Amino acid sequence: MIELLQMEFMQRAFIAGMVLAPLLAVLGSFMTLRKLSFFADGIAHASLLGVAIAIIIGILPFIGALIIGILLGITMYFLEKYSKLASDTVVGIVFTTGMALGIILVSLQPGYQPELISFLFGNILAVTWADIWTITALSFGILLIVYIFFRQFILISLSKEMAWTSGIHTKYLDLLFYIFLSLAVVLGVKLLGIILVSALLIIPPVTSKLIARSFYSYVLFAIIFAFISFIVGLFTSYYLDLPSGASIVVSATIIFVFILLARSFIFSKKKL
Amino acid sequence: MSTVIKVENLSFSYKNGGNFVLNNISFQIEQNAMVMIIGPNGSGKTTLLKILIGLLNPNKGSVSILEEKPDKIRDKVGYVPQKLGFDKTFPITVLEFLKFSHPTISSQSIIKILKNLNIKKLQKSLLGELSGGQLQRVLITKALLGEPMILFLDEPVSGIDIGGEQNFYQLMREIQKDYNVTIIMVSHEINMVSSIATQVICINKTMLCSGTPEKVITPKIIKELYGENVSLYKHHC
Repeated sequence: MIELLQMEFMQRAFIAGMVLAPLLAVLGSFMTLRKLSFFADGIAHASLLGVAIAIIIGILPFIGALIIGILLGITMYFLEKYSKLASDTVVGIVFTTGMALGIILVSLQPGYQPELISFLFGNILAVTWADIWTITALSFGILLIVYIFFRQFILISLSKEMAWTSGIHTKYLDLLFYIFLSLAVVLGVKLLGIILVSALLIIPPVTSKLIARSFYSYVLFAIIFAFISFIVGLFTSYYLDLPSGASIVVSATIIFVFILLARSFIFSKKKL
Repeated sequence: MSTVIKVENLSFSYKNGGNFVLNNISFQIEQNAMVMIIGPNGSGKTTLLKILIGLLNPNKGSVSILEEKPDKIRDKVGYVPQKLGFDKTFPITVLEFLKFSHPTISSQSIIKILKNLNIKKLQKSLLGELSGGQLQRVLITKALLGEPMILFLDEPVSGIDIGGEQNFYQLMREIQKDYNVTIIMVSHEINMVSSIATQVICINKTMLCSGTPEKVITPKIIKELYGENVSLYKHHC
Protein backbone atom coordinates (compact mmCIF):
# COMPACT_ATOMS: atom_id res chain seq x y z
CA MET A 1 0.00 0.00 0.00
CA ILE A 2 2.81 2.40 0.93
CA GLU A 3 4.55 1.52 -2.33
CA LEU A 4 1.43 2.43 -4.25
CA LEU A 5 1.14 5.76 -2.51
CA GLN A 6 4.59 6.72 -3.78
CA MET A 7 3.06 7.13 -7.24
CA GLU A 8 1.86 10.69 -7.68
CA PHE A 9 -1.45 9.86 -9.38
CA MET A 10 -2.29 7.49 -6.52
CA GLN A 11 -1.39 10.18 -3.97
CA ARG A 12 -3.79 12.55 -5.69
CA ALA A 13 -6.51 9.92 -5.90
CA PHE A 14 -6.02 9.00 -2.24
CA ILE A 15 -6.18 12.61 -1.02
CA ALA A 16 -9.25 13.35 -3.16
CA GLY A 17 -11.00 10.27 -1.78
CA MET A 18 -10.08 11.05 1.83
CA VAL A 19 -11.42 14.60 1.49
CA LEU A 20 -14.60 13.62 -0.34
CA ALA A 21 -15.46 10.62 1.87
CA PRO A 22 -16.48 12.67 4.95
CA LEU A 23 -18.22 15.31 2.81
CA LEU A 24 -20.40 12.76 0.99
CA ALA A 25 -20.99 10.77 4.19
CA VAL A 26 -22.07 13.78 6.26
CA LEU A 27 -24.34 15.31 3.60
CA GLY A 28 -25.60 11.85 2.66
CA SER A 29 -26.53 11.27 6.32
CA PHE A 30 -28.96 14.18 6.17
CA MET A 31 -29.97 13.52 2.56
CA THR A 32 -31.14 9.94 3.13
CA LEU A 33 -33.11 10.95 6.24
CA ARG A 34 -34.82 13.68 4.23
CA LYS A 35 -35.49 11.26 1.34
CA LEU A 36 -33.60 13.46 -1.12
CA SER A 37 -31.67 10.65 -2.83
CA PHE A 38 -33.43 11.26 -6.15
CA PHE A 39 -32.50 14.95 -5.89
CA ALA A 40 -28.80 14.04 -5.73
CA ASP A 41 -29.16 11.68 -8.66
CA GLY A 42 -30.96 14.43 -10.58
CA ILE A 43 -28.23 17.00 -9.93
CA ALA A 44 -25.56 14.53 -10.98
CA HIS A 45 -27.26 13.78 -14.30
CA ALA A 46 -28.26 17.38 -15.01
CA SER A 47 -24.66 18.54 -14.40
CA LEU A 48 -23.94 17.10 -17.84
CA LEU A 49 -25.41 20.35 -19.15
CA GLY A 50 -22.67 22.26 -17.31
CA VAL A 51 -20.00 19.98 -18.76
CA ALA A 52 -21.40 20.49 -22.29
CA ILE A 53 -21.56 24.30 -21.92
CA ALA A 54 -18.02 24.33 -20.52
CA ILE A 55 -16.72 22.27 -23.48
CA ILE A 56 -18.39 24.68 -25.92
CA ILE A 57 -17.17 27.92 -24.33
CA GLY A 58 -13.77 26.47 -23.50
CA ILE A 59 -13.64 26.55 -19.69
CA LEU A 60 -12.86 23.65 -17.32
CA PRO A 61 -15.79 21.18 -17.46
CA PHE A 62 -15.55 20.80 -13.67
CA ILE A 63 -16.28 24.54 -13.23
CA GLY A 64 -19.17 24.36 -15.71
CA ALA A 65 -20.65 21.39 -13.84
CA LEU A 66 -20.26 23.19 -10.49
CA ILE A 67 -22.04 26.35 -11.66
CA ILE A 68 -24.87 24.52 -13.43
CA GLY A 69 -25.19 22.06 -10.53
CA ILE A 70 -25.74 24.89 -8.02
CA LEU A 71 -28.13 26.75 -10.34
CA LEU A 72 -30.21 23.62 -10.92
CA GLY A 73 -30.19 22.83 -7.20
CA ILE A 74 -31.58 26.30 -6.44
CA THR A 75 -34.11 25.94 -9.30
CA MET A 76 -35.35 22.63 -7.89
CA TYR A 77 -35.63 24.12 -4.39
CA PHE A 78 -37.83 27.00 -5.58
CA LEU A 79 -39.88 24.83 -7.97
CA GLU A 80 -40.58 22.39 -5.13
CA LYS A 81 -41.48 25.18 -2.78
CA TYR A 82 -43.67 27.36 -4.98
CA SER A 83 -45.02 25.18 -7.82
CA LYS A 84 -46.83 22.78 -5.43
CA LEU A 85 -45.49 19.94 -7.58
CA ALA A 86 -44.25 16.77 -5.91
CA SER A 87 -40.52 16.67 -5.25
CA ASP A 88 -39.88 13.66 -7.49
CA THR A 89 -41.80 15.33 -10.33
CA VAL A 90 -39.65 18.48 -10.09
CA VAL A 91 -36.44 16.46 -9.97
CA GLY A 92 -37.64 14.31 -12.87
CA ILE A 93 -38.30 17.37 -15.06
CA VAL A 94 -35.06 19.23 -14.22
CA PHE A 95 -32.91 16.09 -14.36
CA THR A 96 -34.10 14.89 -17.77
CA THR A 97 -34.17 18.40 -19.28
CA GLY A 98 -30.64 19.16 -18.06
CA MET A 99 -29.34 15.88 -19.40
CA ALA A 100 -31.21 16.26 -22.71
CA LEU A 101 -29.80 19.76 -23.27
CA GLY A 102 -26.34 18.45 -22.37
CA ILE A 103 -26.62 15.64 -24.93
CA ILE A 104 -27.83 18.06 -27.65
CA LEU A 105 -24.98 20.51 -26.97
CA VAL A 106 -22.37 17.75 -26.92
CA SER A 107 -23.72 16.27 -30.17
CA LEU A 108 -23.15 19.64 -31.83
CA GLN A 109 -19.43 19.42 -31.03
CA PRO A 110 -17.34 17.53 -33.58
CA GLY A 111 -15.19 14.54 -32.60
CA TYR A 112 -14.72 12.41 -29.47
CA GLN A 113 -15.12 14.14 -26.09
CA PRO A 114 -12.87 12.46 -23.51
CA GLU A 115 -13.98 14.89 -20.77
CA LEU A 116 -17.56 13.80 -21.27
CA ILE A 117 -16.73 10.11 -20.79
CA SER A 118 -14.68 11.02 -17.71
CA PHE A 119 -17.72 12.79 -16.21
CA LEU A 120 -20.11 9.99 -17.08
CA PHE A 121 -18.09 7.26 -15.37
CA GLY A 122 -15.63 9.26 -13.26
CA ASN A 123 -11.88 8.79 -13.15
CA ILE A 124 -10.33 9.25 -9.75
CA LEU A 125 -6.92 8.42 -11.15
CA ALA A 126 -7.06 11.42 -13.51
CA VAL A 127 -7.65 13.96 -10.75
CA THR A 128 -5.24 16.91 -10.98
CA TRP A 129 -3.71 18.93 -8.12
CA ALA A 130 -5.92 21.85 -9.17
CA ASP A 131 -8.98 19.59 -8.75
CA ILE A 132 -7.74 18.56 -5.31
CA TRP A 133 -7.35 22.15 -4.15
CA THR A 134 -10.89 22.95 -5.35
CA ILE A 135 -12.35 19.81 -3.76
CA THR A 136 -10.47 20.40 -0.48
CA ALA A 137 -11.39 24.09 -0.18
CA LEU A 138 -15.07 23.51 -0.94
CA SER A 139 -15.31 20.38 1.23
CA PHE A 140 -13.78 22.07 4.26
CA GLY A 141 -15.96 25.15 3.74
CA ILE A 142 -19.13 23.07 3.49
CA LEU A 143 -18.23 20.81 6.44
CA LEU A 144 -17.40 23.84 8.60
CA ILE A 145 -20.80 25.44 7.93
CA VAL A 146 -22.59 22.11 8.44
CA TYR A 147 -20.75 21.79 11.77
CA ILE A 148 -21.88 25.30 12.80
CA PHE A 149 -25.53 24.57 11.87
CA PHE A 150 -25.41 20.88 12.79
CA ARG A 151 -28.31 20.90 15.26
CA GLN A 152 -30.44 23.08 12.97
CA PHE A 153 -29.92 20.66 10.05
CA ILE A 154 -30.86 17.74 12.31
CA LEU A 155 -34.10 19.38 13.48
CA ILE A 156 -35.04 20.41 9.92
CA SER A 157 -34.45 16.80 8.81
CA LEU A 158 -36.74 15.59 11.61
CA SER A 159 -39.60 18.02 10.99
CA LYS A 160 -39.47 21.38 9.24
CA GLU A 161 -42.58 22.52 11.10
CA MET A 162 -41.09 21.70 14.48
CA ALA A 163 -37.75 23.26 13.52
CA TRP A 164 -39.55 26.48 12.55
CA THR A 165 -41.44 26.64 15.83
CA SER A 166 -38.09 26.13 17.58
CA GLY A 167 -36.96 29.46 16.12
CA ILE A 168 -34.85 28.03 13.29
CA HIS A 169 -34.73 29.89 9.96
CA THR A 170 -35.83 26.84 7.99
CA LYS A 171 -36.14 28.59 4.60
CA TYR A 172 -32.54 29.82 4.46
CA LEU A 173 -31.01 26.69 5.93
CA ASP A 174 -33.05 24.48 3.63
CA LEU A 175 -31.83 26.41 0.60
CA LEU A 176 -28.27 26.26 1.96
CA PHE A 177 -28.56 22.48 2.30
CA TYR A 178 -29.77 22.13 -1.32
CA ILE A 179 -26.79 24.22 -2.49
CA PHE A 180 -24.32 22.19 -0.42
CA LEU A 181 -25.78 18.93 -1.65
CA SER A 182 -25.57 20.12 -5.26
CA LEU A 183 -21.92 21.12 -4.72
CA ALA A 184 -21.04 17.81 -3.06
CA VAL A 185 -22.67 15.87 -5.89
CA VAL A 186 -20.68 17.72 -8.55
CA LEU A 187 -17.44 17.33 -6.57
CA GLY A 188 -18.18 13.62 -6.33
CA VAL A 189 -18.99 13.41 -10.04
CA LYS A 190 -15.38 14.25 -10.87
CA LEU A 191 -14.28 11.11 -9.03
CA LEU A 192 -17.15 8.68 -9.32
CA GLY A 193 -19.03 9.84 -12.39
CA ILE A 194 -22.55 11.08 -13.00
CA ILE A 195 -23.98 7.59 -12.86
CA LEU A 196 -22.36 6.40 -9.63
CA VAL A 197 -21.93 9.46 -7.40
CA SER A 198 -25.25 9.17 -5.58
CA ALA A 199 -24.25 5.68 -4.40
CA LEU A 200 -21.61 7.17 -2.09
CA LEU A 201 -24.13 9.62 -0.70
CA ILE A 202 -26.63 6.83 -0.02
CA ILE A 203 -24.84 3.57 0.85
CA PRO A 204 -22.52 4.57 3.75
CA PRO A 205 -25.28 6.43 5.70
CA VAL A 206 -27.79 3.65 5.09
CA THR A 207 -25.22 1.08 6.26
CA SER A 208 -24.55 3.20 9.32
CA LYS A 209 -28.26 3.44 10.09
CA LEU A 210 -28.33 -0.34 10.48
CA ILE A 211 -26.13 -0.18 13.58
CA ALA A 212 -26.24 3.39 14.93
CA ARG A 213 -27.88 4.00 18.31
CA SER A 214 -27.46 7.78 18.32
CA PHE A 215 -27.12 10.59 15.78
CA TYR A 216 -23.43 11.13 16.48
CA SER A 217 -22.65 7.43 16.00
CA TYR A 218 -24.74 7.47 12.80
CA VAL A 219 -22.64 10.22 11.24
CA LEU A 220 -19.38 8.76 12.56
CA PHE A 221 -20.08 5.26 11.18
CA ALA A 222 -21.16 6.75 7.85
CA ILE A 223 -17.79 8.57 7.59
CA ILE A 224 -15.88 5.41 8.55
CA PHE A 225 -17.76 3.30 5.96
CA ALA A 226 -17.15 5.95 3.29
CA PHE A 227 -13.39 5.97 4.11
CA ILE A 228 -13.21 2.17 3.96
CA SER A 229 -15.17 2.10 0.66
CA PHE A 230 -12.79 4.62 -0.90
CA ILE A 231 -9.60 2.91 0.30
CA VAL A 232 -10.68 -0.65 -0.55
CA GLY A 233 -12.22 0.43 -3.87
CA LEU A 234 -9.21 2.48 -4.91
CA PHE A 235 -6.63 -0.21 -4.25
CA THR A 236 -8.81 -2.98 -5.67
CA SER A 237 -9.25 -1.00 -8.87
CA TYR A 238 -5.47 -0.57 -9.13
CA TYR A 239 -4.54 -4.20 -8.49
CA LEU A 240 -7.38 -5.74 -10.54
CA ASP A 241 -7.27 -3.06 -13.24
CA LEU A 242 -10.94 -2.17 -12.74
CA PRO A 243 -12.72 1.20 -13.11
CA SER A 244 -12.08 3.15 -9.88
CA GLY A 245 -15.56 4.67 -9.38
CA ALA A 246 -17.33 1.35 -9.88
CA SER A 247 -14.88 -0.44 -7.54
CA ILE A 248 -15.52 2.14 -4.78
CA VAL A 249 -19.30 1.76 -5.11
CA VAL A 250 -19.09 -2.06 -5.09
CA SER A 251 -16.90 -1.89 -1.96
CA ALA A 252 -19.55 0.23 -0.25
CA THR A 253 -22.25 -2.25 -1.26
CA ILE A 254 -20.23 -5.21 0.06
CA ILE A 255 -19.87 -3.45 3.43
CA PHE A 256 -23.64 -2.77 3.44
CA VAL A 257 -24.49 -6.43 2.69
CA PHE A 258 -22.00 -7.65 5.32
CA ILE A 259 -23.44 -5.37 8.04
CA LEU A 260 -27.01 -6.24 7.03
CA LEU A 261 -26.31 -9.98 7.26
CA ALA A 262 -24.36 -9.62 10.52
CA ARG A 263 -27.20 -7.60 12.02
CA SER A 264 -29.82 -10.12 10.90
CA PHE A 265 -27.69 -12.93 12.35
CA ILE A 266 -27.31 -11.15 15.72
CA PHE A 267 -31.05 -10.40 15.86
CA SER A 268 -31.98 -13.99 15.04
CA LYS A 269 -29.57 -15.22 17.79
CA LYS A 270 -31.19 -12.84 20.28
CA LYS A 271 -34.66 -14.12 19.40
CA LEU A 272 -33.65 -17.74 20.05
CA MET B 1 -55.67 38.25 34.53
CA SER B 2 -54.23 39.59 31.31
CA THR B 3 -55.13 38.65 27.77
CA VAL B 4 -52.46 36.49 26.13
CA ILE B 5 -54.17 35.84 22.79
CA LYS B 6 -56.42 38.17 20.85
CA VAL B 7 -57.95 37.10 17.52
CA GLU B 8 -60.11 39.60 15.62
CA ASN B 9 -62.17 38.91 12.49
CA LEU B 10 -59.72 36.31 11.24
CA SER B 11 -60.35 34.70 7.84
CA PHE B 12 -58.09 32.30 6.01
CA SER B 13 -58.01 30.60 2.63
CA TYR B 14 -55.25 28.30 1.34
CA LYS B 15 -55.67 29.71 -2.18
CA ASN B 16 -55.97 33.36 -3.19
CA GLY B 17 -59.63 33.91 -3.99
CA GLY B 18 -60.51 30.39 -2.84
CA ASN B 19 -63.06 29.31 -0.24
CA PHE B 20 -62.38 30.39 3.31
CA VAL B 21 -61.33 27.54 5.60
CA LEU B 22 -61.87 29.96 8.49
CA ASN B 23 -64.30 32.85 8.29
CA ASN B 24 -64.59 35.79 10.64
CA ILE B 25 -63.18 34.17 13.79
CA SER B 26 -62.80 36.31 16.92
CA PHE B 27 -61.93 35.35 20.51
CA GLN B 28 -59.68 36.19 23.44
CA ILE B 29 -57.74 33.89 25.76
CA GLU B 30 -56.68 34.89 29.27
CA GLN B 31 -53.43 33.99 30.99
CA ASN B 32 -53.30 30.53 32.63
CA ALA B 33 -56.47 29.36 30.90
CA MET B 34 -56.92 25.73 29.86
CA VAL B 35 -58.53 26.10 26.46
CA MET B 36 -59.97 23.49 24.13
CA ILE B 37 -60.63 24.41 20.52
CA ILE B 38 -63.22 21.94 19.33
CA GLY B 39 -64.97 21.17 16.06
CA PRO B 40 -65.56 18.29 13.68
CA ASN B 41 -62.95 17.01 11.20
CA GLY B 42 -62.29 19.60 8.50
CA SER B 43 -63.64 22.46 10.62
CA GLY B 44 -60.37 24.41 10.43
CA LYS B 45 -59.07 23.69 13.96
CA THR B 46 -55.55 22.74 12.92
CA THR B 47 -55.43 25.63 10.45
CA LEU B 48 -56.39 27.99 13.29
CA LEU B 49 -53.64 26.51 15.46
CA LYS B 50 -51.09 26.94 12.68
CA ILE B 51 -52.10 30.60 12.40
CA LEU B 52 -51.78 31.03 16.18
CA ILE B 53 -48.23 29.68 16.17
CA GLY B 54 -47.29 31.73 13.09
CA LEU B 55 -46.90 28.90 10.57
CA LEU B 56 -49.67 30.43 8.42
CA ASN B 57 -50.67 34.06 7.95
CA PRO B 58 -54.35 35.07 7.94
CA ASN B 59 -55.82 36.64 4.79
CA LYS B 60 -57.98 38.99 6.83
CA GLY B 61 -58.16 40.09 10.45
CA SER B 62 -55.47 40.12 13.11
CA VAL B 63 -53.85 37.79 15.62
CA SER B 64 -51.78 38.96 18.54
CA ILE B 65 -50.00 36.65 20.94
CA LEU B 66 -48.60 38.36 24.03
CA GLU B 67 -49.18 41.61 22.11
CA GLU B 68 -46.89 40.53 19.27
CA LYS B 69 -47.36 38.92 15.86
CA PRO B 70 -47.22 35.12 16.24
CA ASP B 71 -43.99 34.63 14.24
CA LYS B 72 -42.15 37.18 16.43
CA ILE B 73 -42.54 35.32 19.70
CA ARG B 74 -41.63 31.77 18.80
CA ASP B 75 -39.39 31.56 21.88
CA LYS B 76 -42.33 32.19 24.20
CA VAL B 77 -44.63 29.48 22.91
CA GLY B 78 -44.35 25.71 22.93
CA TYR B 79 -45.90 23.56 20.23
CA VAL B 80 -46.73 19.87 20.30
CA PRO B 81 -47.81 18.69 16.83
CA GLN B 82 -50.30 15.91 16.24
CA LYS B 83 -47.70 13.93 14.32
CA LEU B 84 -44.00 14.53 13.88
CA GLY B 85 -44.06 12.85 10.46
CA PHE B 86 -40.41 11.83 10.55
CA ASP B 87 -38.52 8.81 9.22
CA LYS B 88 -39.00 6.17 11.95
CA THR B 89 -35.47 4.90 11.33
CA PHE B 90 -34.06 8.36 12.19
CA PRO B 91 -31.16 7.45 14.49
CA ILE B 92 -31.55 10.03 17.24
CA THR B 93 -31.98 9.40 20.96
CA VAL B 94 -34.52 11.21 23.11
CA LEU B 95 -31.74 13.00 25.00
CA GLU B 96 -29.99 14.04 21.77
CA PHE B 97 -33.26 15.35 20.34
CA LEU B 98 -33.91 17.45 23.44
CA LYS B 99 -30.33 18.71 23.60
CA PHE B 100 -30.31 19.66 19.90
CA SER B 101 -33.61 21.47 20.45
CA HIS B 102 -32.32 23.37 23.49
CA PRO B 103 -28.50 23.50 23.30
CA THR B 104 -28.10 25.91 26.21
CA ILE B 105 -30.00 23.75 28.70
CA SER B 106 -27.95 21.27 30.73
CA SER B 107 -28.50 17.51 30.57
CA GLN B 108 -29.42 17.58 34.27
CA SER B 109 -32.25 20.04 33.65
CA ILE B 110 -33.51 17.95 30.75
CA ILE B 111 -33.43 14.77 32.82
CA LYS B 112 -35.30 16.56 35.63
CA ILE B 113 -38.23 17.33 33.30
CA LEU B 114 -38.09 13.82 31.81
CA LYS B 115 -38.38 12.53 35.38
CA ASN B 116 -41.35 14.84 36.09
CA LEU B 117 -43.11 13.44 33.05
CA ASN B 118 -42.22 9.82 34.01
CA ILE B 119 -40.12 9.17 30.92
CA LYS B 120 -36.58 9.39 32.33
CA LYS B 121 -35.94 5.77 31.38
CA LEU B 122 -36.51 6.70 27.72
CA GLN B 123 -33.58 9.13 27.49
CA LYS B 124 -31.37 6.70 25.55
CA SER B 125 -34.19 5.26 23.43
CA LEU B 126 -34.38 6.12 19.76
CA LEU B 127 -37.17 8.54 18.90
CA GLY B 128 -38.56 6.27 16.19
CA GLU B 129 -38.95 3.36 18.62
CA LEU B 130 -41.30 5.20 20.99
CA SER B 131 -45.04 4.57 21.22
CA GLY B 132 -47.45 7.41 20.34
CA GLY B 133 -47.97 8.30 24.01
CA GLN B 134 -44.24 8.21 24.81
CA LEU B 135 -43.39 10.37 21.81
CA GLN B 136 -46.04 12.85 22.85
CA ARG B 137 -44.48 13.16 26.32
CA VAL B 138 -41.08 13.71 24.73
CA LEU B 139 -42.55 16.48 22.56
CA ILE B 140 -44.18 18.03 25.62
CA THR B 141 -40.80 17.88 27.39
CA LYS B 142 -39.23 19.63 24.42
CA ALA B 143 -41.89 22.33 24.54
CA LEU B 144 -41.56 22.81 28.32
CA LEU B 145 -37.76 23.11 28.15
CA GLY B 146 -38.26 26.39 26.30
CA GLU B 147 -40.14 27.70 29.39
CA PRO B 148 -43.11 28.76 27.25
CA MET B 149 -45.85 31.12 28.40
CA ILE B 150 -48.31 29.36 26.10
CA LEU B 151 -48.36 25.68 25.18
CA PHE B 152 -50.21 24.64 22.00
CA LEU B 153 -51.16 21.00 21.43
CA ASP B 154 -52.71 19.69 18.22
CA GLU B 155 -55.10 16.74 18.72
CA PRO B 156 -53.07 15.50 21.72
CA VAL B 157 -55.16 12.41 22.49
CA SER B 158 -55.46 11.04 18.98
CA GLY B 159 -53.75 7.66 18.87
CA ILE B 160 -53.80 7.28 22.67
CA ASP B 161 -55.96 4.63 24.38
CA ILE B 162 -58.68 5.60 26.91
CA GLY B 163 -56.44 5.00 29.96
CA GLY B 164 -53.74 7.06 28.30
CA GLU B 165 -56.22 9.86 27.66
CA GLN B 166 -57.08 10.14 31.37
CA ASN B 167 -53.37 10.19 32.27
CA PHE B 168 -52.74 12.80 29.61
CA TYR B 169 -55.38 15.21 30.90
CA GLN B 170 -54.09 14.70 34.44
CA LEU B 171 -50.60 15.52 33.15
CA MET B 172 -51.92 18.70 31.52
CA ARG B 173 -53.38 19.85 34.83
CA GLU B 174 -50.09 19.19 36.62
CA ILE B 175 -48.11 20.98 33.92
CA GLN B 176 -50.34 24.00 34.12
CA LYS B 177 -49.94 24.13 37.88
CA ASP B 178 -46.19 23.45 37.95
CA TYR B 179 -45.14 25.55 34.97
CA ASN B 180 -47.75 28.32 35.19
CA VAL B 181 -48.52 28.08 31.50
CA THR B 182 -51.58 28.80 29.34
CA ILE B 183 -52.57 25.58 27.58
CA ILE B 184 -54.44 25.52 24.29
CA MET B 185 -55.49 22.18 22.88
CA VAL B 186 -57.14 21.46 19.56
CA SER B 187 -59.44 18.46 19.69
CA HIS B 188 -62.42 16.85 18.03
CA GLU B 189 -63.10 15.18 21.41
CA ILE B 190 -65.97 16.94 23.24
CA ASN B 191 -66.55 14.57 26.15
CA MET B 192 -63.59 15.83 28.20
CA VAL B 193 -64.30 19.51 27.66
CA SER B 194 -66.34 20.18 30.78
CA SER B 195 -63.95 18.36 33.12
CA ILE B 196 -60.69 19.79 31.79
CA ALA B 197 -61.22 23.14 30.05
CA THR B 198 -61.72 26.55 31.61
CA GLN B 199 -62.60 27.93 28.17
CA VAL B 200 -63.93 26.26 25.07
CA ILE B 201 -63.84 27.65 21.55
CA CYS B 202 -66.14 25.95 19.04
CA ILE B 203 -65.52 26.39 15.34
CA ASN B 204 -66.84 24.89 12.17
CA LYS B 205 -65.17 27.09 9.58
CA THR B 206 -66.84 29.96 11.39
CA MET B 207 -67.09 30.90 15.04
CA LEU B 208 -69.84 29.03 16.91
CA CYS B 209 -69.00 29.70 20.56
CA SER B 210 -66.40 30.88 23.05
CA GLY B 211 -66.72 30.79 26.82
CA THR B 212 -66.78 28.47 29.82
CA PRO B 213 -67.94 24.92 28.98
CA GLU B 214 -70.91 25.23 31.35
CA LYS B 215 -72.20 28.24 29.44
CA VAL B 216 -71.44 27.40 25.84
CA ILE B 217 -71.67 23.61 25.48
CA THR B 218 -75.37 23.27 24.80
CA PRO B 219 -77.26 20.61 22.81
CA LYS B 220 -77.78 23.25 20.10
CA ILE B 221 -74.03 23.85 19.75
CA ILE B 222 -73.28 20.11 19.75
CA LYS B 223 -75.85 19.65 17.01
CA GLU B 224 -74.31 22.48 14.99
CA LEU B 225 -70.86 20.99 15.41
CA TYR B 226 -71.41 17.27 15.04
CA GLY B 227 -74.97 16.74 13.79
CA GLU B 228 -78.13 15.21 15.28
CA ASN B 229 -76.85 11.91 16.62
CA VAL B 230 -74.11 13.06 18.98
CA SER B 231 -74.61 13.51 22.69
CA LEU B 232 -72.20 14.44 25.46
CA TYR B 233 -70.68 12.04 28.02
CA LYS B 234 -69.27 13.75 31.08
CA HIS B 235 -65.95 12.37 32.32
CA HIS B 236 -64.69 13.07 35.80
CA CYS B 237 -60.95 12.63 35.91
